[in-house]
Amino acid sequence: MEKTIKKFWPVFVIPTFAAFCIGFIWPFLQGLYLSFCRFTTINKATWTGVQNYLFTFTDSSFLHAFWFTALFTIVSTVCINLAAFAIALALTRNIKGTNIFRSVFFMPNLIGGIVLGYIWNILLNCVLTLLGKPLLSLHAPYGFIGLVILMCWQQIGYMMIIYIAGIQSIPTDYLEAARIDGASERQILWKIKIPNVMPSITICLFLSLTNGFKLFDQNLALTGGDPSHSTEMLALNIYNTFYARSGPQWKGYGQAKAVLFCILVIVISLVQLRATRSKEVQQ
Amino acid sequence: MEKARKSRDRVISCILAVLSVAWIYPVFMILANSFKQERSITTGGAFQLPTAETFAGFDNFREALTSQGFLTAFWYSLVITVMSVVLILVCCSMCAWFITRVKAWYSKALYFLFVLSMVVPFQMVMFTLSSTADRLKLSNPYTICIIYLGFGAGLAVFMFCGFVKSIPIEVEEASMIDGCNPIQTFFHVVLPILKPTLISVGILETMWLWNDYLLPYLVLDRTKGYMTIPILIQYFRGSYGKVSMGPMMASIMLNLIPIIIVYIFCQKHIIKGVAAGAVKG
Amino acid sequence: MKKALALILALVMCLSLSAVAFADGETGSVYYLNFKPEADEAWQALAAAYTEETGVPVTVVTAASNTYEETLMSEISKSNPPTLFQVNGPVGLANWKDYCLDLADADITGELTSQDFALSEDGAVYGIGYVIESYGIIVNKTLLEQAGYTIDDIQSFDDLKKVAEDITARKDELGFAAFSSAGMDASSDWRFKTHLANLPIYFEYQDKGISSTDAIEGTYLDNYKNIFDLYINNSTCDPAELSGKTGDDSRNEFLAGEAVFFQNGSWEYTNLTADGAFTDDDLAMIPIYIGVGDEANQGLCTGCENYWCVNAEADEADIQATLDFLYWLVTSETGTSALANDMGFVIPFKGAVESPNVFVKQDSEMTAAGKTPVSWNFTTMPSEQWKNDLGSALTAYAAGTGDWDAVVSAFVDGWATEYQLANG
Repeated sequence: MEKTIKKFWPVFVIPTFAAFCIGFIWPFLQGLYLSFCRFTTINKATWTGVQNYLFTFTDSSFLHAFWFTALFTIVSTVCINLAAFAIALALTRNIKGTNIFRSVFFMPNLIGGIVLGYIWNILLNCVLTLLGKPLLSLHAPYGFIGLVILMCWQQIGYMMIIYIAGIQSIPTDYLEAARIDGASERQILWKIKIPNVMPSITICLFLSLTNGFKLFDQNLALTGGDPSHSTEMLALNIYNTFYARSGPQWKGYGQAKAVLFCILVIVISLVQLRATRSKEVQQ
Repeated sequence: MEKARKSRDRVISCILAVLSVAWIYPVFMILANSFKQERSITTGGAFQLPTAETFAGFDNFREALTSQGFLTAFWYSLVITVMSVVLILVCCSMCAWFITRVKAWYSKALYFLFVLSMVVPFQMVMFTLSSTADRLKLSNPYTICIIYLGFGAGLAVFMFCGFVKSIPIEVEEASMIDGCNPIQTFFHVVLPILKPTLISVGILETMWLWNDYLLPYLVLDRTKGYMTIPILIQYFRGSYGKVSMGPMMASIMLNLIPIIIVYIFCQKHIIKGVAAGAVKG
Repeated sequence: MKKALALILALVMCLSLSAVAFADGETGSVYYLNFKPEADEAWQALAAAYTEETGVPVTVVTAASNTYEETLMSEISKSNPPTLFQVNGPVGLANWKDYCLDLADADITGELTSQDFALSEDGAVYGIGYVIESYGIIVNKTLLEQAGYTIDDIQSFDDLKKVAEDITARKDELGFAAFSSAGMDASSDWRFKTHLANLPIYFEYQDKGISSTDAIEGTYLDNYKNIFDLYINNSTCDPAELSGKTGDDSRNEFLAGEAVFFQNGSWEYTNLTADGAFTDDDLAMIPIYIGVGDEANQGLCTGCENYWCVNAEADEADIQATLDFLYWLVTSETGTSALANDMGFVIPFKGAVESPNVFVKQDSEMTAAGKTPVSWNFTTMPSEQWKNDLGSALTAYAAGTGDWDAVVSAFVDGWATEYQLANG
């Protein structure tokens, strides 16, 4: 059977593969090449070697963006997952209105990053004004907190759905057996529920980590990096280096930053994948 | 014991109810403000409901619909999303079936590339992708789906592969023995089995495509006036710091309404799709 | 059947790929990347009018606010780049010079009322100023009269201070404040970090007889402090609350009659008179007095920071079409009246139509009466970063969390470092 399928490769593979080449492989390779060049358009690129990378490591705004992003990712990952797990536990107790609650919490996921950013910008600025505090775009700590709140509002619902699916897939025999043996609610949580939803936890951690690192739209619309680039995350920093700075050297810098960013995300994903695998072996 | 549990449930219900109000409030706030007059929308007054004095009726909505070409942007958003999702579902499921069923070095290599593309951030390819799209004339709403097929293939192929693996191969073999060629087998046998997966992949891709901002912003040919809704919303700011708050709120609302309607009708599918997608992913 | 399907699928892909535009004809076309979102509709109409008249296609694309540089950067590397774009003064030109065509011999350059409005460097003309704007302190005359003054009472910084402080003292009785709030977020802080900061720079340049510098001394920073103090201490709200206000808030306060004075420019005319909020008789613009120089003869701050540039890398035919379009814009009746009436621009060209804008009329009256307009020197500010740093320092000062020394340091030391970075 495999042989017959093989003969049909043009039908099955070519459409996707051709588009994949146009939409990913070719731009990716070209981007890799351009990160070693000084260029304004693709046809006018001159090879400059590792100069772009050297600049990137001395660019304080990039380093700042890195630490800001890392801190943001850690804080938001912790907040999102704790809250999502707690809500998931509450929603698997068969209380009234579970379906409505679930729908409500999931709703923000359908709203795009740009729109979310504007909504929260208006809301948080109003709160800050009423409290007599400076606006989001004037005080970096508020910008940071604002981003975390926004991300929580958006992502908790998504992660909650995954946790609910995880908790519901625990065989009811386990739970019943534990109850008969007289285990307390807390023991059931730590000894049965958490170990059994480990796969969901790793997925959620993975998703919130990569979402945090790649965050762009929300960052752009909520603070736009204000005040003076101090709430700028990596993706926005790269975008600004690339498009907001004019001058032939900046595009090369931007592309080099993008390559480093890309490596960083891949490394994080690999580490995460490893962790997932080892957990799965244990079970 | 039973009583204690009940009262605890009641407390939890209350907490959840308060939380869900907080979850809906931002949307409600935008709705309230979109009915206010331009001048009454102040930074500190966003929480106030419109009063008889500040009520603007549907003026903001009229303005939002007419001033910046909302309907065209809506149409383009719709075209891009529908075409791309259909293309991604058909092409990627075929490709994924092939990769899983044919055990060869190249199918492994392809699989690896698709997985790689899933984690690569868009910033890595934003410049080269937009110039490639420009040169190949893929920069209009009717052809941009090819770019999306290419850039969105990773996730879709990855998820389809996961599901195809769980389909018993015997069914396909039986159909082949009955004289079906692989194409017929795929469309008559495999695709129906994949239906739940098609729905969840479709939902995930739709959520991404409808809200995507940077890719269409960089790729779409602006000289022809192509725009999607997330791009349009930025146009309510003027060059000397003036923001047309009223129409902006109204257009945010207009953007949210179809999403909410779709969500109310398909929420079961959406939530199931997300859960299924995540478990396999 | 199977082969046919394969072929069809492959064909669909190929067709959409090869739908390469064969349509590019010989006649040139114009592609203008517009800077001002509020003028978008008027530009579209004007472009259509030109196409109807001459058959030359004109495309106008407007960049969303604060994204002009990004949009230009992304558009200019496309296969169909803008043929006409704009830069903000000499600092903006430095970034885009490679793309700018020398317009020294172009017809449009000859139409300028003064060569001061051409952006030239080393004898080449790279940009043509296309809109003159003025800013100052916009006054609600009705409220001012209620407080017992007229605009003739304000002829110097001391007068302004006296009036403002008197209004503040009687704030509760009158029911309005002197100044609308000085919002310090990005939608409003340019009024202070850029436009107000222009005055000390202008007077320092005047003293030294220069038009740009690599190091500013800050001779008149005390006066800058005085005027800024006056703004924040006599405003609708407490200085500490200013950092919670936006440009919209400030405008809305003025519109609602909560403040007499509102520092802004002639571009606000349409916003203030829309929906009959104010009539021409209610409004006036007075110079920003800071207590330096010959105040009796000081005019409004008038200048130009938006310059048209023609893309030198566009096709020859497109360049020609663009130059023709520009000439038509500033000489034809349709063009000039659209610029003046629909967009509210005052253009520095011989064929200009008189603008209905009351602030603009005032500016020409003042100039006619022998007052000297203050020129726009903020186009020589070393970088955006400099402005942002100054803005942050001002915000902190207004909120009481920073002191004035930080502002001075951002102004003087910041200038030297940023100048080095930009030009070093």
